[in-house]
Amino acid sequence: MASHLPPKPTPQHSTATAGGMAEAGHARPRGLMRWLLTTNHKEIGSLYLIFSLTMFFIGGIFALVVRAELFQPGLQLVRPEFFNQMTTMHGLIMVFGAIMPAFVGLANWMVPLQIGAPDMALPRLNNFSFWLLPVAFALLLSTLLMPGGGPNFGWTFYAPLSTTYAPPSTTFFILSLHIAGISSILGAINIIATILNLRAPGMRMMDMPLFVWTWLITAFLLIAVMPVLAGVITMMLMDINFGTSFFNAAGGGDPVLFQHLFWFFGHPEVYIMILPAFGIVSAIIPTFSRKRLFGYASMVYATAAIALLSFLVWAHHMFVVGLPLVAELFFMYTTMLIAVPTGVKIFNWVATMFRGSISFEPPMLFALAFVVQFTVGGFSGLMLAISPADFQYHDTYFVVAHFHYVLVPGALFAILAGAYYWLPKWTGHYPNLRLSQWHFWLSVIGVNLTFFPMHFSGLAGMPRRIPDYALQFADFNLAASMGAFLFGASQLLFVLVIIKCVRGGEKAPAKAWEGAEDLEWSVPSPAPLHTFETPPDFHPHQH
Amino acid sequence: MWQAIKSVLAAFLGVQKDARRREDFASNRPGTFIAAGLLVGLVFVLLVAFVAVLAAR
Amino acid sequence: MRTLLAWIAGGLTSVVLTPVALADGWNMPVGVTAISRDIYSLHMIIFWICVVIGVIVFGAMFYSLFRYRHSRGAKAATFHEHTSVEVIWTAIPLLILVGMAVPATATLKNMYDTSEADLDIMVTGQQWRWRYEYLGEDVAFTSNLGTPREQINGTGEKGEYYLLEVDEPLVLPVGQKVRLLLTSDDVIHSWWVPDLAVKQDAIPGFVNENWVRIEEPGIYRGQCTELCGKDHAFMPVVVEAVKPERFDEWLAERKEAAAQEASSADREWAMDELMERGQQVYGSLCASCHQEDGQGIGNFPALAGNEAMLDDVDWHIDRVVNGVSGTAMASFRNTLSAVEIAAVVTYERNAWGNESGDSVQPSEIAERLADQGE
Repeated sequence: MASHLPPKPTPQHSTATAGGMAEAGHARPRGLMRWLLTTNHKEIGSLYLIFSLTMFFIGGIFALVVRAELFQPGLQLVRPEFFNQMTTMHGLIMVFGAIMPAFVGLANWMVPLQIGAPDMALPRLNNFSFWLLPVAFALLLSTLLMPGGGPNFGWTFYAPLSTTYAPPSTTFFILSLHIAGISSILGAINIIATILNLRAPGMRMMDMPLFVWTWLITAFLLIAVMPVLAGVITMMLMDINFGTSFFNAAGGGDPVLFQHLFWFFGHPEVYIMILPAFGIVSAIIPTFSRKRLFGYASMVYATAAIALLSFLVWAHHMFVVGLPLVAELFFMYTTMLIAVPTGVKIFNWVATMFRGSISFEPPMLFALAFVVQFTVGGFSGLMLAISPADFQYHDTYFVVAHFHYVLVPGALFAILAGAYYWLPKWTGHYPNLRLSQWHFWLSVIGVNLTFFPMHFSGLAGMPRRIPDYALQFADFNLAASMGAFLFGASQLLFVLVIIKCVRGGEKAPAKAWEGAEDLEWSVPSPAPLHTFETPPDFHPHQH
Repeated sequence: MWQAIKSVLAAFLGVQKDARRREDFASNRPGTFIAAGLLVGLVFVLLVAFVAVLAAR
Repeated sequence: MRTLLAWIAGGLTSVVLTPVALADGWNMPVGVTAISRDIYSLHMIIFWICVVIGVIVFGAMFYSLFRYRHSRGAKAATFHEHTSVEVIWTAIPLLILVGMAVPATATLKNMYDTSEADLDIMVTGQQWRWRYEYLGEDVAFTSNLGTPREQINGTGEKGEYYLLEVDEPLVLPVGQKVRLLLTSDDVIHSWWVPDLAVKQDAIPGFVNENWVRIEEPGIYRGQCTELCGKDHAFMPVVVEAVKPERFDEWLAERKEAAAQEASSADREWAMDELMERGQQVYGSLCASCHQEDGQGIGNFPALAGNEAMLDDVDWHIDRVVNGVSGTAMASFRNTLSAVEIAAVVTYERNAWGNESGDSVQPSEIAERLADQGE
C-alpha cells in the first residue's frame, strides 16, 4: 500500500558488480514502462498492494450501495436486479481483488526479506502474474456496463442461476475469473520456489518466520484448488455456450455437482484468505510483547492441520441441499475438528502476551483487535458447524455476520496490521501515530456496528442477499448501515496515513520496532531496491 | 517408518517434544514423512467416515 | 485477577447477553415443533460454551494486556513452550466437541426420519412463488407474495406482515406428521419457516424430503433463503396450521373448487370474462418479469406490441404452455389450469394497446393439453 518508489540502490546493499541483477548493466526504463516491466519484488509488491487498495475501495463502494438500499425497508435507491449485481460484485472484488492480492503483495515484499533472499525465484513470472490482475478486473468491472448487466447470482454463482438463467455477460465473468486464477497459480508457484530454494544459508524450515510458513502452506492450497475453480467455470462456459448439460437438470445434469465442485475450491479458499493473516499476527504479537512466539512448532503444525482439514469440510456449506445422513454427519464432525487447531493458535497468541512486556503501537492495536474479533467469528463458525442448528442459520444474516467477522475484522485487520508494521521498512518513516490511532478506533467501532447486529437479524430470520426485508429487521439494518458508512469513511484515513508516511514523518531506523527479530529488520529503512545480494549471516533462535 | 508415523501423529495433535523434533528435522529424507503424512491422513478420513456411518445407523 | 475476571464476566453478561436471551426477535425462535425445540437448545448450548471459552480466553488476554504493560515497566519472560499446557488446551476443546457432537447427531437423525407420514405435500419453487400440491388429494395451488407493490415502492404504508404475507397460505393439520417433498421448476430455491425449523433446498431435477409435525395452531411465516434471481426477496412462505377437523373441511372445499374449475373449461367464455380472469393471472404470475404494463425489463421481453406473439396464436400458446428452454420463461403446463391459460393468453393479446381481438377458449386449450399429454 506504499505508493512510493523504493529509493535508488545504496552502496551497502547493492553493488553493480554483484552480478545478481540482470538490469544492473542496463539503463532502467523510466516512467510507466518501469512499472510495466519491473521484475523487482519490492516494486511488484507495491503494485499488488496499490491494486488491492484500489479494489478495496471499489468493492467498498458496492457494499455501501447495498447498505444504503438496506438502510430502511422498502425499495428506495436501486432495483433488485442491480442490487444483486452489487452484492455479487462486492463479494468477487473483495475476495479475488482485494484480500488475495493484498496477501500476495505482502508476500512479495516480505518473504524474500524474511528469508534473506535477493528477490523472488522467478522475477519475470512475478511481473506477469501481477499484470494479469488489472486485465482480469477491468474485464470483470466492464460487465456492469454490458446489456443485461453484470453477474447477479452471488459470489458463489450457483448453477443454474449462473448458467441457464444468467445474463449474457457471464461469459466475460468466466474469462476474467480464469485470468485471475492463472495469476494466483503463478504467484503461488513463485512463492513456493522462493521459499524452498532461496533461504539464507543456515535457515532451516523450522527457523522460518511464521508469515513465511503460512504463505508456503497457503501457496500449496492455491495450487491445489485454483484448477478446480477453473474446471467448474469451464463447465459453466460449456453449459452456456456449447449446449452441454453439466449443471442443467433438464439435460440430465446435476446442479448439486456444481456446489460440490465450487466448495471443494471455496473452502480452502477461505483458508487462503486467513492463513497468511495468522502469519502476520504471529509476527506482530511477539514483537510488541517483547517475547518469543509461544509454541512456534505447534503454530506450524496447526497451520498445516487447518490446511489439511480444509479439504475435508466443503459440504458444510451444503447442509440443506439434501445430503445423505452419513455425509451430513461426516462433514459436521470434520468441521467441528477445525476448531481445535484454530483454538491452539489463539491460545498460543494469548500465551505469548502472558508475562510479556506489552506496548500498543498501531500494528499491535490491529493485531489485538484481530485476535478478539477473529475469535468472535470463530465462535459463530463453531455454532454453524452444528449441522442441525445450521438448518436455522444457513443463508441468513447470521452467516453473513460470521464470514464478515472472519474476513473484515479478521483478514483485513491483519493486512492493516501488517501494513502498519512494515510501513517503516517500506517508506523509511513511521506512520503518523495520532492518525493511525483514529483510524484504528473508528475502524473498530464501525466494523462492529456493521456486523454485530447481523447476528441478531440472522437469528431472527432475515435471509441474506435480499434488497428488501420485513419490518422486524429494520433496527438491525439501520445500525449496520450506519456502521458501514462509518467504517468506509474511516478507511480514507488509512489512505491519508500512507500518503503522509510516504512523504515524510519520523525517520525509522533499520530495526524499527524494539522487539522485532526477523531478518527484514537487518536491512536499512527504507529497504533499498536490492537487498541481500550476498546472503546474510543467519543465526537461528533455538526453536 | 514407525518413527515417522509417530511424529506425524504428534503433528496432527500439534504437540511434539523439542528433542524429538530436532531429530526429525535432522533427517534428510522428507519422503518418509510425506508418505507417513498421506497414510495417517487417509486413516484419519476413514476413521471419521467410519464414525459417521456408525452414528447414522 | 479474580475481580477483573468477575467484572468482565458480569459486564458481558449484563450488557450483551441478557437482552439476547430475553428479548424476542433477537434470538432464534424456539418454534412449535419438537425438532425446533431441540435445535434451539443445541443452539443455546453451543452459544454458552462459546461464551465461557470467550470469557476465559479474553479474560486471560485482557489481564495480560493490563498487567504486563511495557509502560508499567514489565520485563518480558523468556519461556516459549510448555508441552503439557499445549496438550491440555488441545485435549479440552476436543472433549467439548465430542460432547457436543452426541446430541447434535441424535437431533439430525430425527430430522432425517421422514417415514410414516400422514400427509405428503409437494412443494415446488418457481421464480418467484411457491406451488403446493396435496399428493393424492387433487388439490394444488400457487402461493404468491400478498404485499401490494405500493408498499414496496414506498407509496403506501407498510403493513404488519410486510413481505411475509401471501395470497394463499399452505394449510397444514396440527399434530400430524407432514412430509414435504421439495423440488424446483427453474433455479434453486430454499423453503424456510423458522418456527418450524424446516429449511430445505428446492433443486431442479431433485426431490428433497423433510418433515414437520406442528404442535400449535397458528400462522407461521418464512422466506425463500436461496438466491433465486431478482425477486428472491419477494417469495415468502406462509403456513397456516389448523386443527385436523378444520383441515378436512378446508380440503373438501378446495377439492370442490378444483372440480368446478375443471368443468368450467367445457363452457364458452365471454371476452370480458376472459380478460378479467386473465388480468388476475397475469398480475400474479407474469407481471414480475414482463411488468404490469407489458413493457418487459432487462432480458424479459416486452409483450406490448410484440409482433411475433400477435401474429401467431399457436406460437403464443406454445410459449405459455411449454416455456422456452434455456431462458427464464417457465412452462406453465402444470401450474395453470386450461381456463387460466386461455384467459392469460387472451389478456396478453388484448391489453396495453394490443388489439388482436382474439379470444382463446378454455376448451381449445384443454384439447391441446390432452393432445400433448399423450
